[in-house]
Amino acid sequence: MLSASVRRTGLLAPTVITLFVFMVLPMGLMAWMSFLEPGTYGGVQWGHYSAKSYIQFLYEWDLDDQLVLNTDYVGIFLRSFLLAGGATLATLLIGFPTALYIALKDEKARNRWILLISIPFWTNLLVRTFAWMLLLRNGGLAEQFLSSIGLVKEELNILYTPTAVAIGLVYSFLPFMILPIYTSLEKMDWKLVEAAFDLGANRWMAFRRVILPLAMPGIVAGCMLVLIPALGSYFIPELLGGGKSLMIGNLIQNQFGASRNWPFGAALSFALLTVVMVTMIAYNLRFKRAPGADK
Amino acid sequence: MQQRQVAIHIDQVSMCFGQGAEQVTALDSVSLDILENEFFTLLGPSGCGKTTLLRLIAGFEQPTSGHLQLYGQRLEGTLPFQRPINTVFQSYALFPHLTVAKNIAFGLEMQKKPQNEIDATVEEMLALVKLKGFANRRPHQLSGGQQQRVALARALANRPKVLLLDESLSALDLKLRKEMQVELKRLQRETGITFIFVTHDQEEALTMSDRIAVMSGGVVQQVGAPADIYDRPVNRFVADFIGETNFLNAVVVTDGFDLGKLGTLPYPVSKLGLGSKVTLALRPERLCFSEDGLPGVVENVVYMGTDTIYHISLQDQPGMHVRLQNDYGAQAAYQIGNSVKVGVLADSIRVLED
Amino acid sequence: MTTSVNPLWRFRGVAGTAWFAMVYLYLPILILIVLSFNANKVATIWSGFSLQWYSVVLDNPNIMRAAKNSLIIASCATVVSTVFATLAALAMSGPTFRGQSVINAMLGLPLLAPEIVTAVASLLFFLAIGMELGLLSVLVAHVVFCIPFAYMPIRARLEGMDPRYKEAASDLYATPWATFWRITLPLLMPGVVSGAMLAFIISLDDFVITFFVAGAGATTLPVYIFGMIRMGITPEVNAISAMMLLVSILFVILSWLVGRVKQ
Repeated sequence: MLSASVRRTGLLAPTVITLFVFMVLPMGLMAWMSFLEPGTYGGVQWGHYSAKSYIQFLYEWDLDDQLVLNTDYVGIFLRSFLLAGGATLATLLIGFPTALYIALKDEKARNRWILLISIPFWTNLLVRTFAWMLLLRNGGLAEQFLSSIGLVKEELNILYTPTAVAIGLVYSFLPFMILPIYTSLEKMDWKLVEAAFDLGANRWMAFRRVILPLAMPGIVAGCMLVLIPALGSYFIPELLGGGKSLMIGNLIQNQFGASRNWPFGAALSFALLTVVMVTMIAYNLRFKRAPGADK
Repeated sequence: MQQRQVAIHIDQVSMCFGQGAEQVTALDSVSLDILENEFFTLLGPSGCGKTTLLRLIAGFEQPTSGHLQLYGQRLEGTLPFQRPINTVFQSYALFPHLTVAKNIAFGLEMQKKPQNEIDATVEEMLALVKLKGFANRRPHQLSGGQQQRVALARALANRPKVLLLDESLSALDLKLRKEMQVELKRLQRETGITFIFVTHDQEEALTMSDRIAVMSGGVVQQVGAPADIYDRPVNRFVADFIGETNFLNAVVVTDGFDLGKLGTLPYPVSKLGLGSKVTLALRPERLCFSEDGLPGVVENVVYMGTDTIYHISLQDQPGMHVRLQNDYGAQAAYQIGNSVKVGVLADSIRVLED
Repeated sequence: MTTSVNPLWRFRGVAGTAWFAMVYLYLPILILIVLSFNANKVATIWSGFSLQWYSVVLDNPNIMRAAKNSLIIASCATVVSTVFATLAALAMSGPTFRGQSVINAMLGLPLLAPEIVTAVASLLFFLAIGMELGLLSVLVAHVVFCIPFAYMPIRARLEGMDPRYKEAASDLYATPWATFWRITLPLLMPGVVSGAMLAFIISLDDFVITFFVAGAGATTLPVYIFGMIRMGITPEVNAISAMMLLVSILFVILSWLVGRVKQ
């Protein structure tokens, strides 16, 4: 019989090697490439180091090679955070009452609701985003409906705006908010809420003083699950925002498409990854849990 | 009585968990002989080491020191699947993905017994535990009592030399537990297998066992037949843990025990050292009310159906309980606040030397 | 909770919000499915029931090729990632060892990192090592992000497994090898199945990473649909989108039913 540690190494090797070679190494390579000079027709100039990509984030070079402040990219970063943060807040406002409603149902109804919430979660997001284009575009169904009840007189003009992107983000990530909150509410001992009622709390007070604090881990987890992918989303702003580099994701993709500036694309990706990692570490420190998938 | 063989010989077995300052001694140099064909019970409060001892016999753990023998064969280094010993687990551990019949057949299949023999044994076991017709059910389709019987059948099917039962009845409700107690005793008689039963329920231990080992703090306090343990506890722990006991603090004088302000209790103290301090253990049901007893006051009267328990306060001594059987239609003989005298017969006194 | 009828638990506005969420989630899906049966050439104006756009889709060789690529990649990625994840979960559920938290962090990385970052890093890596962008690069990238998804349910299943089952098997004369095949693996199977289903659907649905690392010959269905959407909203896109939706919905319901039967 093999010794325990030899067997364990053998069992772990395929996963660890795959993840290391095709996930960790590429991330490192990406960080390294962000410090290289861009090639003229895409690619990088190996061995030519520079911090250009990071300077480029705030400044541009004018015709005389002078650094001039350029707030375009900062603006895109800020807009990304605003849209992602706003979407997180909106999903929380819709998601918490929904989770509470489901958690208060009897078991059969609860399972049915959770199935219904999970189905969009597993169906193709690209296709569901496309469905919103059908709804929101001029002459689309939302416009037809709103004009039939007299709310809109002319064209809706909502597709290809930040509003459309916000609607799409909230829609896409709503299940990510509902499910973890539901999980924490479902595990909750409702006797505690009964105790609060018994001690004279009305519904609002019981909600604020007992339910909300006990659901906090679920709320925080839900916010992370919405905020992180929303920050890095690419095709939602691309399709609903009309390809105008509304968010970081579009800007990054652009560096590998039209702009052909790989180091800048790598730098933007690395910056986004850093923001996400810092948020995750802060979350783990605050909630004292081991990092990673092992939850 | 004929000399019986020793089935399990436990020699100075110690078991420690953890390391350094956090080390916990679960068993402290335990020695025991469990005889062939015996219903032997390990009894004690939770954390006394009884389950650890059972797991050592089964082979799930190895002792820190000391050794175990099965019919004279050392058990060190043999793994659970190499020992002709089977366990009925506390939560039964019936394999949820296998049917009742497959569960019972599991051990035989692992030993590569011929299929016709396995089939016959499964049939026989199902009959033995009265579960004919349940062969194709899954464990979750059975009641707690039925699961218990399957767990028993699964272990017995292998005809083990020793059967271990780990708190096996504790998950059942009271009525079912009583039934299973009788059932277990019957199975043990019919199969002639040595049963080692672990429980914290003293009543269960007293009703079923041939012999009992009372354990506490990783040490065996007393080993003996139920009546021995009940009537002649060797120390205060055993007296207190088994049944209900009143304790009186006494000093040995020439004609009996000096109980302070209560006076002297006559007793043939010839074997005891004069002036030594002792504890007297008195069972509530062995006491009565009589003219020449110890004076006390009734503090509380608890009606129990068959009996009434009187709580008596005494001067200089802890309170006592006196248990009297109720006659048909009789009223309680005394009320709260009545002065009474508690009669103590010399042969009901158990002297525990401190 | 069985107290939904009890007025004590009626929090104001909760039911309304929940139903709003439901409509919000399902309205676009329903409309897309309905419009896919629209006879009209303009995608959002209804003019009668028709299946013609489905036949257009099924006659389009590019779509069929993309669908074939998607299935090949999803199947291979599922098998590889589920096997890897099962082995890893078995090792991780044993006694704790040094470096375990590092491996945990590695398993979490594909879940945490925004897809676009993973996509960029993978693209740069494949180009740097001179690997040709094609089916193989897509497959490798898919295996990487499928592993954590396959791992989670398998690990959870192992975690929830009563250690007494193994002890009981051992007590009943099963060697460690027999215990694994007769007890551990059958009990683990529901976790392996749901892990594999998760990996399959995640791979089938992936767009961003595939979009970056797929060369010309390795276009998958989502990448092809994206291209079609950018060309304009056509009834053909409606039909293929509706087909993708129905496939995933069927898949989820199937896995739900499998889960229910197992209980």
